Amino acid sequence: MNSWLNPLCMPRVAARVFVLGAAAVAAVALADDSTFTSSAGVGDVGGAQIYSEICQGCHMPMGQGAVGAGHYPKLAGDVALTSWQYAALTVLSGRNGMPPFGLPANQVQETRTVHLSDAQVADVVNYIRSHFGNSYRGQVTASQVAALPHPNSPPAP
Amino acid sequence: MTTDAPTSPLNRRELLRMIGVTAGSAAMYQAMSGLGFAAESPYKGPIDLQGAPHGASVLILGAGMAGMTAAYELRNAGYRVQVLEYNARAGGRNWSLRGGDTYTELGGATQHCQFDQGLYINPGPWRIPYHHRGMLGYCKRLGVALEPFFQVNYNAYLHSSQAFGGQPRRYREIKADYQGHVAELLAKATQQNALDASVSKEDQEKLLESLRDWGALDRNYGYIASNDSSERRGYQKNPGGGLSARPIPSKPVGLADILNSGLWEGIPTGDTFDMQTALFQPVGGMGRIGEAFGRELGALIHYQAKVTDIRQDAQGVTVTYEDSGGGGSKNTARADWCLCTIPLPILAQIPMNVGQALSAAIGAVPYASAIKVGLQFKRRFWEEDEQIYGGITYTDLPITNIGYPNYGYFSSGKGVLLGAYIWGLNAMEFTSMTPEQRVQKTLDYGSQIHPQYRQEFDNGVAVAWHRSPFTMGCYGMWSSDARAKHYDDLCRIDGRIALAGEHASFLGGWQEGAVTSALDAVERLHQRAVAQGDKT
Repeated sequence: MNSWLNPLCMPRVAARVFVLGAAAVAAVALADDSTFTSSAGVGDVGGAQIYSEICQGCHMPMGQGAVGAGHYPKLAGDVALTSWQYAALTVLSGRNGMPPFGLPANQVQETRTVHLSDAQVADVVNYIRSHFGNSYRGQVTASQVAALPHPNSPPAP
Repeated sequence: MTTDAPTSPLNRRELLRMIGVTAGSAAMYQAMSGLGFAAESPYKGPIDLQGAPHGASVLILGAGMAGMTAAYELRNAGYRVQVLEYNARAGGRNWSLRGGDTYTELGGATQHCQFDQGLYINPGPWRIPYHHRGMLGYCKRLGVALEPFFQVNYNAYLHSSQAFGGQPRRYREIKADYQGHVAELLAKATQQNALDASVSKEDQEKLLESLRDWGALDRNYGYIASNDSSERRGYQKNPGGGLSARPIPSKPVGLADILNSGLWEGIPTGDTFDMQTALFQPVGGMGRIGEAFGRELGALIHYQAKVTDIRQDAQGVTVTYEDSGGGGSKNTARADWCLCTIPLPILAQIPMNVGQALSAAIGAVPYASAIKVGLQFKRRFWEEDEQIYGGITYTDLPITNIGYPNYGYFSSGKGVLLGAYIWGLNAMEFTSMTPEQRVQKTLDYGSQIHPQYRQEFDNGVAVAWHRSPFTMGCYGMWSSDARAKHYDDLCRIDGRIALAGEHASFLGGWQEGAVTSALDAVERLHQRAVAQGDKT
């Protein structure tokens, strides 16, 4: 089940055991020790880990982006990141084929995407705005992200 | 029977639904098959494009299944056709990696595939359902030999890391036991008159008879260790010949154990319309189709052409491209019409003068994250040790699938299997790794099911579709919301430009979606071209 290395996810696991009963107890007891999440979600991991386990698949380990038939934007020195709203909206809703990460958790199945909480979106936006040589001003908070429009496709019929 | 009595708790339809819910779609399908429901393929056979205007031309962007289907038909109809392709090969996602092949992903990691002669992995599509008549039709016309693809192998595994001590179970055991227990439960409910108000006495007798047959129940409608149940789930000792011939029945797994294991989720994997027997694969790898199309179209395809601009005017379409094979020189191609099959994440970045509706549609479709890992082993231990010949093992581990090769059975040399086929979050995590790490992780997980992995591993390749330079993702994931808003706009011809590809279909991720969307777009372009008449 939930097995990201980040110790922050432990309280959440414990809470689930309490709620879900025997099945969840068994699952936690037998969980393997990999760094992998289950399809249940990304837990409460923070911006650095979200970047290194999700974002860098396309934007690359140093935020350098990549060029093929199209390109993945380079985050290092990307002036668009001056606007935290631009960055947060991109994470929430996706852009040009990039998957949205702001769909409600119960709606990610349809598009095989991933749900990040507003706090996680804020955290990863802060991460990319302050790494790879970036030092854009201002920390984004979860409540600021919450105030932005979120994608919200209706459930499949 | 009574169907509409207000007191009736369960009518025939509800019974069918209940069978569907409790017994999985197989039983539902079995129960409904007499009703004559059958889905139609959108493929109507080879299209007829008569009366192509003299001198009319079409520029096709992308030499994948959609682009080459269109090129083939338009050429045959008399159009002047050119195809621009980013890769140095034909096929796009129709692709096999074989020994000697090299693949460089976005980010620069290069893999040199070291599989033995004749062995391969299909990083993209790997199966063709019998009703994908467009794909099968082109295979026949192009002379691509097909062989069976096994979706369901009763001797492959269902595996949960959280159940049965992490030991995999054979598919036949879980299927037989789940079915047997459900049949027994429903038989008991019938016998206890729980269905009286809704199923007539006569129907109840038939239902009981069918449940015994369907579930391998004994004369008392019990699902027990017996030769009958072992004929479904397998014996503890198989029947043979001679003095040691006597079979020993095996003991079914309890219903609670199956329910708690979650393995029942794996039972209907061959019951969905897309996965029902028969399925096919090209002999020698899926990529044989793209290769055959490429040979057929020959010099019509211009390879290593990276499209950088698409501009239409009143008379035609001009496309600017960089010759990535020839030092990046800029060139242009022009035609009366343009059929664009470029995957949407790439197309969204290419300047193109189309209307707002099409433009919005192009940007509205996120692309799925997916991983495939091919592993070569020194011997075919899955066959030699475990008698698994083709088919798929399903697991709750991040690798989700182990696909055994549906070819080369009993050969004494090495073998290549699909070690992982991953979606969603786990696919994103695998994408973030180096190819070597992906292979290593796949070995870690797979060895929980096949302990032989460590000893027998030889080499591997790992393809992460978001690192693919020519697609930037696996395929278009339409939400129902996005489809309602944008799908028609994506498919409509905008001036002189039409789009095609799996993204312009209701068969997302399937090659048949690419083929049928191309044929649909080509027919509509043809009508417009005919309406404009011959070129002077």
